Amino acid sequence: MNPPDRRDPADDMELMAYVDGTLPPEDMARVEARLARDPEARDSVAQWRHFDNLLHESARSADTLPPNLKIAALERQLAARLERRRMRAFLLGPRLRQLAASVAIFAAGWGAHAFYGTGSSMMAELPPGFVGPTLAGHYAYVHAAHQRAEFGGDQMTEALAWLSNEMQQRIESPRLERLGYEIDSARLVVVDNEPYAIFYYRNAEDERVTVSMTPRRATQPDYVFRVARFEDDRMAYWSGDQLNYTVVASGGADTLTSLAAAVQE
Amino acid sequence: MTLKSELHSHVGSLRRYALVLTRDPVAADDLVQETLVKAIAKADTFQPGTDLRPWLFRILHNTHVSDLRRARTRNDAAADLPEPLARECQHTQLELKQVLGALDQLPEAQRLPIILIALREMSYTEAARTLDVPLGTFMSRLARGRAALRGIVQGMGSGKLSLLKRKGEES
Repeated sequence: MNPPDRRDPADDMELMAYVDGTLPPEDMARVEARLARDPEARDSVAQWRHFDNLLHESARSADTLPPNLKIAALERQLAARLERRRMRAFLLGPRLRQLAASVAIFAAGWGAHAFYGTGSSMMAELPPGFVGPTLAGHYAYVHAAHQRAEFGGDQMTEALAWLSNEMQQRIESPRLERLGYEIDSARLVVVDNEPYAIFYYRNAEDERVTVSMTPRRATQPDYVFRVARFEDDRMAYWSGDQLNYTVVASGGADTLTSLAAAVQE
Repeated sequence: MTLKSELHSHVGSLRRYALVLTRDPVAADDLVQETLVKAIAKADTFQPGTDLRPWLFRILHNTHVSDLRRARTRNDAAADLPEPLARECQHTQLELKQVLGALDQLPEAQRLPIILIALREMSYTEAARTLDVPLGTFMSRLARGRAALRGIVQGMGSGKLSLLKRKGEES
């Protein structure tokens, strides 16, 4: 018969793992053999397990507490924040966020609905974080291939004339200057044979706004004005008589509505 | 599992942990609420792809420690102890009070590992991450805490109670 172990059970990680159910199966028989011959270890294990059971049962009584509406509301808020956080990490790093927001919408030809509207399936299994910036870079590359012309902020008169001619539509300036923005550049992008006049603005706080106009085809539905949210940005889109419009900016719905109103006027 | 259902499950776990920490259902829900408010504020610091549960538990743990420091003294909420679900009886209640009383005598560093593991919802590694200590430190504290708890309860005469309980269960 083997003598009882003289080790202090409290220092024995194997015994703790046995109590907590984390002991590898291959070690189980050896530890149980030890318990059979070591009354001190056996007693320690029994007591730890008993205390653990008492605390566990005590904790489980929380499950019988009445639902807490405030907790439920906070839980929903947190879920929404974490979803956004996951989407942000998936899509892009902070430096590329603005770029991808506009590029993904305008260049990939998907449109905001196609890209974000199926978010639930996308988020069910997100790729690792390093995929997002690569994706944004890819779209920037694709975007560049679709770009037909670019005009500086000081060439707006020529730009509007040229864009109107190319798009066979009268293209007017979005006129965001009255809201404190300055035009950075204007571009013509063609995706799937559809031309998009895109205007980039920014204000003194370096808040950036992107406006696009594309001809509205007779077969397309009439989109009523709508503001949708993506991360910290929002986008407004709607159909005019001749053109479909999109505005992307940071800020609240009020900001987007003001910007859209200025574009539409 | 969707993020919403995962979070819902974690909030249930937070309530259990908070209840053992505070011994009072109202204080437990207050602690969980405070934890969620902080988590919302810190959502941008969460690293997607990492485990959400230790992150939430760490916030709750830190909030609880801060609350304790502010309060300086622990509420004597023994009268409000949650009742065990199974085999409710005076004996079990008394034992639980003794164990909780003994837990209170342990330093925080030993007490929290015991509670976290008793929840049976985390591995040692996750629990160590929750308390922001290396795994070895966590294991050592858990072991010392369990040994100390046993010693304190035995000093209280819980050994007799345990024997009585076992007899009662057998009958």
